[in-house]
Amino acid sequence: MHISEGILSGGVLALGWAGTVAGVSYGLKKTNPDRIIQTALISSAFFLASLVNIRIGPSSTHMTLLAPMGLILGHAVFPAVFTALLLQALLFGFGGILVLGVNTFVMASASLAVYVIFGRAIRESSGRTRVIVLSFMAGAFAVIIAAVIAGMFLIMTDSDFAGAVKILLIAHIPVAIVEGAVTSFLVIWLKRSVPEFLS
Amino acid sequence: MTRDIYALEIPRENLSASAGHHPAIVLISSVIYALAATASTNAYSLLTASLLPVSLVKRVKLSALAKLNLVNAVMILTLALTWPTPAGRGLYPEVKAGLIMGVIISLRVNMIYIAFSAMVYPLGIGGMYEALCFMRVPENLRVMMIMTLRGINILRERYESAIISVRLRAPNIRGVMRLKIFAAMMGNVLLQSLERSENMMKAVKCRGGFSGFMQCGTHAVKFGDVVYVMCFAFYGIIIAVMNYA
Repeated sequence: MHISEGILSGGVLALGWAGTVAGVSYGLKKTNPDRIIQTALISSAFFLASLVNIRIGPSSTHMTLLAPMGLILGHAVFPAVFTALLLQALLFGFGGILVLGVNTFVMASASLAVYVIFGRAIRESSGRTRVIVLSFMAGAFAVIIAAVIAGMFLIMTDSDFAGAVKILLIAHIPVAIVEGAVTSFLVIWLKRSVPEFLS
Repeated sequence: MTRDIYALEIPRENLSASAGHHPAIVLISSVIYALAATASTNAYSLLTASLLPVSLVKRVKLSALAKLNLVNAVMILTLALTWPTPAGRGLYPEVKAGLIMGVIISLRVNMIYIAFSAMVYPLGIGGMYEALCFMRVPENLRVMMIMTLRGINILRERYESAIISVRLRAPNIRGVMRLKIFAAMMGNVLLQSLERSENMMKAVKCRGGFSGFMQCGTHAVKFGDVVYVMCFAFYGIIIAVMNYA
């Protein structure tokens, strides 16, 4: 999901940073200072979970966990994703500093979209099947939306990237299915064990 | 120098390619370089932009560079097969335009990666904290960054023990059950992080809250720092001129 350095044009990078600065400012404004540490620790839990390698069939994958992040952190997702990606760049050299604005915007806006669209419905649903279906949709939706936004940034740089973007979208379909399944299992677990997490 | 509670300070002599300079100046300089390198499209500008990474490549782990280029190879292949040309999409000769684009992007990716790896990443969290202070980034965000790092260190142990117990108890689980166990493991760690964060917040409140939680560095920007950033600005201009000449 990370876009590497050196691909996007200066204007597109600036656009990504503008969106990220706006999102982070809004997130910090909406976050109660008493929840800063909680947000940071939840962000670390997601950061580490995304590093766990899960073997599926002949291949293996890392989760992005965009939907659970959105559902749990809500408006605080922008600052949380920003810090997580900054640390990822500094600790592992993944992503990059210049493209951090775009990558944050891609992931955090997908998470925020999940929170806005599915958050209330998942919180208020009581039927197990309904929660599973909604959470699966939220998990898959987050991955697809993030891929679409990443694709939009690539096409804004050069419309000739359209063919590569199509491949990017197709490659994300299996990831979306796995993410949807993990999200539904996690939401079911949270609703049963710690329902206040989703509120 | 930052005076923080987790001893994240880094000695100045460890700053590698940017030894002795203010972290914010190093960050700004490398961003100027990266922007100029990103805009490079022709052979002259790419050659000019490659001078800095060539001088810094010794400071970068070659294994990391190899992994990066593995991803680049996939990207080149994808662009070669999808890049449109007047003759349409497909294999040779249309493949040439995509191949050239892929190689140019790969060169840029390598150049920027080497520059950041040698200049910015060695600054570490302490240096980045100081750079963010210099850029007037809100304290809440800086605290969140430090706490996230702290959380990674704390929760890593929990994940490791959870993974070991899963391996010992159910080494041969397959399919959906694997995902189910991953979700339960994550739920447990989230729960522990919630409890831990409540305790940490109480501790912070007992010590007077976040005000002055971590003080910004006292390092002032020196004349040498200004010269350093000016040199990078000049280098960036030369790359841009070579690109449009």
